[in-house]
Amino acid sequence: MEHHPVVRVAAKILIPPILLFALYVQFHGDFGPGGGFQAGVIFGAAIILYGLVFGLKATQSVIPPQVASILTAVGVLLYAGVGVWSVMLGGNFLDYNALDSHDPVHGQHVGILIIELGVGITVAAVMIVLFYGFAGYLRDHD
Amino acid sequence: MFVVVTVALLVTMGLALARAIVGPTLYDRILAVNTFGTKTVLLIAVYGYLTERPDFVDIALVYALINFIGTVAVLKFFESGEFAHSWRERRERVEAGDTGDDD
Repeated sequence: MEHHPVVRVAAKILIPPILLFALYVQFHGDFGPGGGFQAGVIFGAAIILYGLVFGLKATQSVIPPQVASILTAVGVLLYAGVGVWSVMLGGNFLDYNALDSHDPVHGQHVGILIIELGVGITVAAVMIVLFYGFAGYLRDHD
Repeated sequence: MFVVVTVALLVTMGLALARAIVGPTLYDRILAVNTFGTKTVLLIAVYGYLTERPDFVDIALVYALINFIGTVAVLKFFESGEFAHSWRERRERVEAGDTGDDD
């Protein structure tokens, strides 16, 4: 079986811009198409591309399965944490206006940003966990 | 002008889809689906300018990326039947005498 240098070099060149593009979609989501879910999918796709080209073992040394599992929960905790935080500041659950007592618009900005970050982390981690699960399954029954 | 380009792209996508259905070999189909995806990227970009929403270029970029990863995944699956090992690891296993077909 050959080395497939074209695929390897193309993946090496493409993966960093893909990760950067995921961050752009994440944090530019207020002004254009995008948001947490899409950014998470793009981020996960970059890791999956790495896994396809360089193997499951190399990918799991970059992002261990335990870390990916924990990150799935961290995103949801960030999301719910903003809700609880707004309750503690005297608003309703996920009431962004309560996050900044002087400027409600600024509070909405901060709230949306953190919540979308939580969504992005969870989606990316779930994509990676799914890839680990299915790739490992096929290897066991090889 | 954008309308003409859109129609031409739709015709091209129809031809690529016909090739994907007719075949006859696996690689014809993969190449046809890849071409179809590339034309979809162009169609999204052109449609964005047609409806005066240049934001669509972002979506076209994402589609190009997913198209590339999908093609790599399909080719790898049909070559080695699994996703867990890189090509280099698999070649080393084959050289070591482990064909991966036992068990």
